[in-house]
Order: sequence, then C-alpha cells, then structure tokens
Amino acid sequence: MMILEAQHLSSGYGELQILWDVSIALQQGRLTTVVGSNGAGKTTMLRTIMGLIKPWSGKVVFDGQDVTHLPPHKKAEMGLILIPEGRQLFTEMTVLENLEMGASPARARPKMKENLEKVFELFPRLKERMHQKAGTLSGGEQQMLALGRGIMADPIVLMFDEPSLGLAPLLVIELFDIIKRLKAEGMTMLLVEQNVHLALAVSDYAYVLSEGRIEIEGEASVVRQMDEVREAYLGI
Amino acid sequence: MDVLLASLVDGLLIGFVYGLAAMGLTLIFGVMDVVNLSHGALIALGMFGVYLLFTGLGLNPYLGLLIVLVLGIILGMILYAIAIHPLLDGPHLSTLLSTFAVSMIIIGVGTMLFTSTPRNIDINLGSMVLGPVRLQGTRVVAALVAILVATGLYIFMYRTHVGKSIRAVANNRDAAELVGIPSVRILAFSFGLGTMLAMVSGGLIATLFPFSILSGGTYELKSFVICVLGGLGNPTGALLGGLILGLIEGLIPVFMPVGWTPVIEFTLFVLIILIRPSGILGAR
Repeated sequence: MMILEAQHLSSGYGELQILWDVSIALQQGRLTTVVGSNGAGKTTMLRTIMGLIKPWSGKVVFDGQDVTHLPPHKKAEMGLILIPEGRQLFTEMTVLENLEMGASPARARPKMKENLEKVFELFPRLKERMHQKAGTLSGGEQQMLALGRGIMADPIVLMFDEPSLGLAPLLVIELFDIIKRLKAEGMTMLLVEQNVHLALAVSDYAYVLSEGRIEIEGEASVVRQMDEVREAYLGI
Repeated sequence: MDVLLASLVDGLLIGFVYGLAAMGLTLIFGVMDVVNLSHGALIALGMFGVYLLFTGLGLNPYLGLLIVLVLGIILGMILYAIAIHPLLDGPHLSTLLSTFAVSMIIIGVGTMLFTSTPRNIDINLGSMVLGPVRLQGTRVVAALVAILVATGLYIFMYRTHVGKSIRAVANNRDAAELVGIPSVRILAFSFGLGTMLAMVSGGLIATLFPFSILSGGTYELKSFVICVLGGLGNPTGALLGGLILGLIEGLIPVFMPVGWTPVIEFTLFVLIILIRPSGILGAR
C-alpha cells in the first residue's frame, strides 16, 4: 500500500521554478530514497510535501487523504514527520525540551514516555546531556537530537533531509545503522541524500532527482547497477 | 539617609510594575519580531478597564484586574488577527505602522469617550512601617501583584506544553510547525499574553497615580528603555531593567529636580545602545 504519494508536484521560490512534475510514492514499511546532487531540488521537494512551500500544481496524498493544502503542523499531527536539513533544533531550549516538543502531536502525547526511553536507548549521549541547551551540542549530537525529536512524534512516515550532511564518516555510519534499525522495526521512511552510495545501499526503492525532475526510478538494487547512475553519482 | 532608603524602596516597588509592562513588549518582540507601538495605548486601556469596573460596578480594583487580565488576552488575540497576522511576512515597517494605527484608534476613541481629564482610583490601603521606611500599601500590593504575574508567566513558559511551544515558535517557527505546533495559534496567544501584561501593569499603575487615556505613552517609552536595558526579547532582563529604572526614578528626586528623570533615563538608553546593544543580560 502506498502511504505517501506526491503526484505531479511543481513548485519553486518566487518566479523561479525548482520542481518540475515530480511524482514519488512511498510503500508502507519500506525505505525509499531520493538521491541527487546538490541543487537538484531535493530539499524543495520535501518542503513542498510538508507544505512549508506552497505547491504550484500537483497533489500530496497521505494515508489516502489529499493533504496538499494542509499546513505543516496538521501533517505532523497526522504522522508525517520531516527531520529538516541543518537539524533546525530549538537551540535555546534544552535537549529534553526539544524531545518534548517533538511529542507535540496529540497522537504522540500518550506514547511520550515510551518514545523517550527509546530515544535515550538509541542515543545514550542525549540522556547525559538532557538538561543542556541544544545549541551547545556538537554537530553529531545535534543530528542525533533531530532524529530523536522526529521519533518522539511517533511518525507514520519519517522523512530525512540530508541527515549525513556535515557529519564525520564514523558518525555517518552510526546514523545509517540507526536508520537500518528503524527500518527493521517496520518504520516507513523517505531518505533524501547526497551520499548516493550509502543511500542506495540501505534503501529498498530509489528515485534519482536531477534538475528538479525525476530521471530514474526503480528498486534500489537495480538503480545501483545502472550505468548512468554509476557514472554520474557513484564515480565508477 | 532614611529619605534615601525610602526613595530606594519606593522606586524598587514601582520598578516591578514597570518591569511587568516591559515584559509584555519584550515577549511580543521575542516571539514574533514585532515592535508593538500600541503598547502604551494598551497600558492606558488597562488603566481605564480597572477604573471603569471600579467606578461603574464598584468592583475592587484588584478583582477588576483579574477581569482586565482575561480581557487583555482576548483583545490581544483579536488584535493579532486584525493588525499583525496579515502583515507578519511583510517588511518590519508594516507591523510598526499597523500597531501604531491601533494605538491611534484606542487613544482617539478613548479621548472621545473619556476626554483627557486626569482620573484616579480612590483607594487607600494605608501604609506599613518597615524599620525606618514607611511604605504605601497600594505600592506594596502593586509590586506583589506584579511579582505574582511575572512568576506565573515564568512557570507557564517553562513548565507547560503551551508555554514551551511559545518558546519553540520564538526559537524556530518552521521547526515548530514540523513537530506539529500550530504556530499561528501560538503567535496569536503570545500577542494576547503581551497585551495582557501591558493592560495588567496599566491597571496596577492606575491604583498608584492619576492617569488619562494619554498616559500610556510615558510608560511605553519607559518600557522601551527597560527592554533595551535588559536586552530586547529577554523577559528576565525586562524585569531586571524595570527594577533598575524604578531605582533611578526613586533616587533622582533626592538629588535633583524631578524634571531631570527622563533626561537621565534616555541618556542611559542611548549609552546602553552605544556600549552594550544586547542589554545587560544579553539578547535571547
């Protein structure tokens, strides 16, 4: 079953069109990835899906409902959660408060304690720094907190925007281990990444976004073998 | 020496009320980056709220304050919908002008209804003697109420989900939306809180000094000085700035004519902007 679908989305900033007729679909329980180089329109696509940017045309369907024109908080309330590029933490608030804010959706409130334990189990360092301001964390810790805040929302679909950006290689591996673990638990995820190699390695299904258009789509294992992908993105 | 001490304490007491007023201004600025130029008019509206409930219905001013508090939140939310929300994504100047317009409307209608003859609330709580200092009852109660409201606000902002949501929206509005916080409702409520603080402090001032619908301007200016002292956008700084301003006002008459007060205050204002623009406690 398709839990999230973007249908023929076009959008942009001001006069500048970035997305051109982009269609993607997420199957429940699978890890889908959208890869592409810097400036391909990946972040714009996610922001349009969430409603932070108004789509010029096209539709967003979540859980069988047309949510195209719902504001971001309504989508979050329904379980569509984006972990934004550059973490976007509440830097002036403590680690714990950031996590509490993650549990703002009504559907996530009753599970707050349970999810908090899960986050602290995944990221013990966040527990140690619980009462520290989020802005004082290291880059890696901030990404962990952003992920933790996403988990607190008890998401139905979890979307990542460039989670590996700015992380040291070891931390990237740690991060992808956690994504794999969430996948094993049955979480439906959309991973938007510039790190094409890693993204294709962990995902089930893949889209290649180039200059605002979906150029290629298919099972990740197949896409990985395609000559044009190998040449353009994997440098093989 | 006793005179000095008495002036100090007097100033400190009124300082809490000034601080409360400034908290309203700084809260709105901190959350939505709006400089509320209707702040003074709202302070005056609070004065008249308590006054009318007192003279019209014979309601005790401190009970009247409770009603003004609730009305303040509601009025603020309505003002947000009319004068702030449609302009929030525009340039800063838009909300500066729209809140100024609100101020003109309140003062215009207020002058029509109440004229600009000074009023006062006739209330006397006697005085209490504390060592060498004699304290006016109304001032003590006003300071206590201001402390109570400020403490309540602090607990609300740091202990409740809605309060934390306000801080989250102030910190990063997009991120707040992404975690499911309805930011527009939070902004409206924050403006309601800011308005409430202005009106409640107005109501408190009305129990101390004579006032007219035009009196708000003076206190608006004081609020600006206080906000700059404490760091714009920082409520704790506002309270501290209020105390400092209160102390200055208490002390000046001991050494020089009262007329010098605004001169000293605004010299301080300019100096702070020049030397330490982030305020004593630094901006948020």
